[in-house]
Amino acid sequence: MSSAASDTWIVGLGEARIAPLLDDVSINELAWEAVEPALQEAGVALADVTGAITASQDFWDGRTISSMNVNEVACGSFGSEAKVAADCVQAIGYACARIDDGDQHLNVVVAHAKESEGDAHTIELAAFDPYYERQIDPDETIVAAFQAGLLYARGGASEELSARVVAAARSRSKVLDAVSVADVLASAPTATPLRVLDRAPLMDTAAAMVVCCGDQRNKLDRPAVRIVATATRSGAYWRERADLTSVAQAGEVVREALDRAGWSLGEIDIVELVAPFAHQHLMLGEAVGLGGGESLVARFEQGEINDSGGWLAGSAGSVAGLHSVLAAARRLRQGDGRRAMVCSTGGLAAQSHHVVLLEAAP
Amino acid sequence: MSHAPVRAAIVATGQTDHGRRFDASLAEIAREAIDRCLDSRGLTLEDIDAVIAGNMEMFEGIYLVEQLSVGALGALGKPLYKLNTGGTVGASVALACYHMVASGRYRRVLGVGFQKQSEGSTQAAITTVGDPIWERAVMAGAIGNFASMASTYIAESGVTQEQAAKVAVKARRNACLNPHAHLKMPDVTVEDVLASDMLAYPIHLLDMCPASDGAAAIVMAAEDLAGDLADRPAWVHAVATAHDQQYMGDSPKRLAVMRSLQAASRKAYALAGIEDPLRDFDVAEVYEPATYAELAMCENLGFCPMGGGGKLIDDGVTLIDGPLPVNPSGGVLSTNPVGATAMIRVAEAAMQVMGEAGEHQIPDVKRALATGYGGNAWTDVMILSAERPK
Repeated sequence: MSSAASDTWIVGLGEARIAPLLDDVSINELAWEAVEPALQEAGVALADVTGAITASQDFWDGRTISSMNVNEVACGSFGSEAKVAADCVQAIGYACARIDDGDQHLNVVVAHAKESEGDAHTIELAAFDPYYERQIDPDETIVAAFQAGLLYARGGASEELSARVVAAARSRSKVLDAVSVADVLASAPTATPLRVLDRAPLMDTAAAMVVCCGDQRNKLDRPAVRIVATATRSGAYWRERADLTSVAQAGEVVREALDRAGWSLGEIDIVELVAPFAHQHLMLGEAVGLGGGESLVARFEQGEINDSGGWLAGSAGSVAGLHSVLAAARRLRQGDGRRAMVCSTGGLAAQSHHVVLLEAAP
Repeated sequence: MSHAPVRAAIVATGQTDHGRRFDASLAEIAREAIDRCLDSRGLTLEDIDAVIAGNMEMFEGIYLVEQLSVGALGALGKPLYKLNTGGTVGASVALACYHMVASGRYRRVLGVGFQKQSEGSTQAAITTVGDPIWERAVMAGAIGNFASMASTYIAESGVTQEQAAKVAVKARRNACLNPHAHLKMPDVTVEDVLASDMLAYPIHLLDMCPASDGAAAIVMAAEDLAGDLADRPAWVHAVATAHDQQYMGDSPKRLAVMRSLQAASRKAYALAGIEDPLRDFDVAEVYEPATYAELAMCENLGFCPMGGGGKLIDDGVTLIDGPLPVNPSGGVLSTNPVGATAMIRVAEAAMQVMGEAGEHQIPDVKRALATGYGGNAWTDVMILSAERPK
């Protein structure tokens, strides 16, 4: 495996509104809400874009080839788009590959989800083994509850610590009301030991960024952030994991990305962890090497981790990782640190892990 | 593609025996293709740096299928990407394998496309391609789509039903030479095609592709490994992608004038130095879901003048022993496991370059074309050659 770092630059950022229901826009319009400001920030027109990498899920859109909804607004008719069905942090890795091999020089990366149009339980049920599991009607929350129960029983994590992660996230949210630890613990049970507020709520939203090669970045002469390295790795299906609380691949994928960049974890100024359930932040933080238990939660509360609030502060599947990348990139552009890391997870019980490392322009 | 930091080549391919596979689960089908691919070169999963999978989830109704199947895909603990781009997905996977190697990210990438259409409703799944407000109510899978496009094409180009039927005969007879093909009809005639059930004018049953179960896999390797892994690697000289507009009504002549196929192929031709496609390619594996589509694709790929697709088949140019054989494997008309179909095009093109296509091998193939096609008129193009790129 190569250790080469990427020479891809982020030159434009854009976000659509985030809300539980955006019924005044279609998916195309929602994506354009994000793409248009990203293009404007980059100082380019849609016609300048040579390609796009998108992230979305057919099941959530209720549409085979969900990217048909957005490829016109991402790279125009006759553009070159490809869709990754995962969190957008993984899609960023593919975009970088197409930039680094010279195939593209100016790409849009866009993720969308309109979760108000789907039925979460029905969709999540379809992720389970059709022969052996679907009969018992599981969903992502139920598997996450198995995981949280095991995590809490193991010690070092608890419902209270998870509730503090939620409260920290919501205190930074721009779209959701702040909640206290007591509010989280008093919210309605979903699957023991999880409660409603332990899970990121469903949202409609989109996010986009314009990325380009080094030469193009010099021509555009815009505030830029370099994507130094990306990495992705998949763990086992939830039922096949000996320890459901282990997310060892998260640690491995971070180490791989750091190796590619030639960095150490201690050199990272900005850290964003992206997961849909509060307790998964505790697992990821520990696996990545950011500490555990009380001290780890304190870092969330102090904004050392997830200054943006992360997924729990309001985002959506496929989009959440990109929202955190945008937040980290903005901080880097403002001089609020030199290096950033975004780690996202996806799938049942945090099965897959994706990392992107960013660096402020010199 | 001289600009790529790393040259890349397909060094191994593997396919299932396509058809109705009630003997294997979806995951087992994927693994069968992977094992055949790796075994063909004495490789193991330990040799693979990353896996890129393609499947259209709505067909079997399994969300996050790559995560359920991670073990079968050989991706546990590895980078695992899943693309789902419609009919093109297998080609999109092959292109992604190329980019991952050419960019220097990984040195050996396994790409696999897999689908088990017998476990779902093909018509229902394809109907969800349509816009839920404007198109779905009048959409009936791929057949209605191609019927309207073929009607326009007939009116526009003058192609006849008999000429289209010749494509069906060519495909099903070629399939008899391919041990993996689904529909093998050695004795089928033009009359049989024209006498088969009319599905939606002008599309007869034998004008359309089947719904198959199957999988196909490739290994893409970096230049310093390719020569050790294959005696005659299939080097990637160009890749390109283009889409047409989302709504069918925005492109009324979508079959007669396939704008996305023209855009993607011309970009790829420029990258690979193709000046005269009919002369410069030795074989083509094109994604033809219907007979009329192959004729139109040959025109839009520049194998003949626009409007000349009917004459092309009349003259036997695209027959397996013609000047430019098109789909010697039997094509999509003989085998169509959607998630794998475009990967089969790439794998078959690579097999032709590597000289490993068995009974349907075209002699002395130096340069081959593979295409993928699907919803949104999504078009992927890959050009493979026996010669290492400069």
